[in-house]
Amino acid sequence: MSKSGILTSIYKALTKQKAFIALLVMMIGMLFSKTNFYSAYNLLDMLNSTSILLILAFGVTFTIISGGCDLSIGGNLVVAGILAIKLLDVMPIWLAILIAVLFGAVVGFVNGFLVVQQKTEPFIITLGMGLLLTGVAQQLTDAHPLPAKNPNFMMISNGDFHGIPNLVIIMLVCFGISYWIMRYTQFGRNLYAIGGDYEVARYSGIDVIRTKWMGFVLSGVAAALAGVLLSSKLNTGSPVYGETTALVVNCGVVVGGTSFAGGIGGIPQSGLGLLVFGMLDNVMNMLGITSYYQVLLKGAVIVAIIWMDCFANKRKREAV
Amino acid sequence: MEEKKSVLKAGASMLRDYLVLVMIAFLVVITAIIEPKFLSGSNLVNIMRQFGPLIMVSLGMTFVIIGGFIDLSVAGTINLVAVVTISLIQPLGQLPALLIGLALGIVCGTLNSILILSSGALTQAEALFITFGMSTVYSALALLYSHGSTMHFWDISASKSVFEAIGGGNIGFFSVSFVIFLVLLAILWIFQSKTADGRAICLTGGNKTAARLSGIQISRSIVEIYVICGFMAAVGAIVLFSRITTAAPVIGAGYETSAILAVVVGGTTLKGGKGSVLRTVMGVLLVVLMSNCLDLLGVSSYMQYAVKGAILMFAIWLDNRKQA
Repeated sequence: MSKSGILTSIYKALTKQKAFIALLVMMIGMLFSKTNFYSAYNLLDMLNSTSILLILAFGVTFTIISGGCDLSIGGNLVVAGILAIKLLDVMPIWLAILIAVLFGAVVGFVNGFLVVQQKTEPFIITLGMGLLLTGVAQQLTDAHPLPAKNPNFMMISNGDFHGIPNLVIIMLVCFGISYWIMRYTQFGRNLYAIGGDYEVARYSGIDVIRTKWMGFVLSGVAAALAGVLLSSKLNTGSPVYGETTALVVNCGVVVGGTSFAGGIGGIPQSGLGLLVFGMLDNVMNMLGITSYYQVLLKGAVIVAIIWMDCFANKRKREAV
Repeated sequence: MEEKKSVLKAGASMLRDYLVLVMIAFLVVITAIIEPKFLSGSNLVNIMRQFGPLIMVSLGMTFVIIGGFIDLSVAGTINLVAVVTISLIQPLGQLPALLIGLALGIVCGTLNSILILSSGALTQAEALFITFGMSTVYSALALLYSHGSTMHFWDISASKSVFEAIGGGNIGFFSVSFVIFLVLLAILWIFQSKTADGRAICLTGGNKTAARLSGIQISRSIVEIYVICGFMAAVGAIVLFSRITTAAPVIGAGYETSAILAVVVGGTTLKGGKGSVLRTVMGVLLVVLMSNCLDLLGVSSYMQYAVKGAILMFAIWLDNRKQA
């Protein structure tokens, strides 16, 4: 292998594993800081506070793998959370959660109808859906946080099982289920095929519309579930959490190596990508960086990583 | 029989083309019947002033969308330009502050285009996420620069007559901001339809590969669209804070989606390559009239948010049907 060949393969590995490398850099960097970063408590706390974003990311991955995108998850998250809290007053917890999740499925169904069945561009149309749902959430709560009245509801997200927070356990279960769907079912394999080449998938007999549509429904379900968990964690329904969540989660998925071009990536990669953002938040808090600089740094990281993704796509295009 | 059908078809396509005009007329009539205050002089002036900031931002956004890209960073640009400009009035005087504000908009636009060009982003999706990241960066810079505080006109002891004129002055029947809009519209319209660069932007948006192969420098088009968008966002920021006489570092929130909404409602297709600044004027008019109507009818601002989202989705769906 020539010298430039080695360099190219190193470059390739670097761009492919950028999430892993970012995590590694932060972990090595924190070795030299005098903080409690390396305590079981902090690492578990980090995982706990990233769990909700991770659940969102697992859902969104189903749409991005098949060449779509879902920017309505932020709005979906807040409306489902508020809905669950409102319904708690009149019905048992399990029914309230079930209805909130069903609502998420309906939102996903409508997204799927517009994007897949009517063949519109997913980006702006789901952005519009997010806008609509955020407005609905503000109307439902009059833009004030809405406290939950049932104390048991709070325990879903804030309880723990032998020291492991419930949220982490729920997240791991979601991870297992979505990994299994993506990896070992015909539906999951078909999603990859559709993202890889829509026309080829269609001609090889895959029901492309139904499969891709189902991906959007799953994304809606995951977003609603995340919304219920968030409401339970805060013990309130609040309309403010949806605003940038959708864009950050979609970016995180791309950071992990799932490309907007479709067909590449997977659930574990998306998890790693979101962990980058979770760890970045944790590290910045540990180091005592003030909130404005945190926003700046996060924006810069998003730009840098999306830039790298675009650059890799460009090289791929030129190589063909 | 055949002829009748084709006449019907032509009528239907014309209706679809001018759907926005029809909807504007419909809105005006309905609201004037329900709420006679709508056509009063003070409300019309009010509409003209509401029109100001959004039309500037939307005109810039039109070029980006015609060029086949998208710019979510206008909200951040507005935040940054507003807080920087207002803070410079006191130490530097108003004209230097104004010029620096406009230059800052151009710098932001140039930075966006450099990032897009250097990464080789060719799709709307890639541009969307890069400019979203840049919006976060600009907003954070605005927060850092202003320490998160809001600045008011009454804090400034130096002369601020220019900004007061932009915000509340009149030339004859028209407000100053409306005259600025007319001048900029004329310039942008001539640029778009009468110059080679304007045509090149259209072709770039239509099909990038074809444009490049036929000798058009698409990189030049990309720089132009983002610079125009950044500049117009800066103009919008100045008009906006002059009107409300305060500049908070979150002043521009929501302008990116409103501008995209206005452009798409006006009939410029998100697929790129087709559209016009004149269409955007109609789109903005519709959006502003709609929110004025909803205000008069007593619909809460939260629900208006939801209505905007619904209309955005409907407009894209309709546009998609038209293309197919």
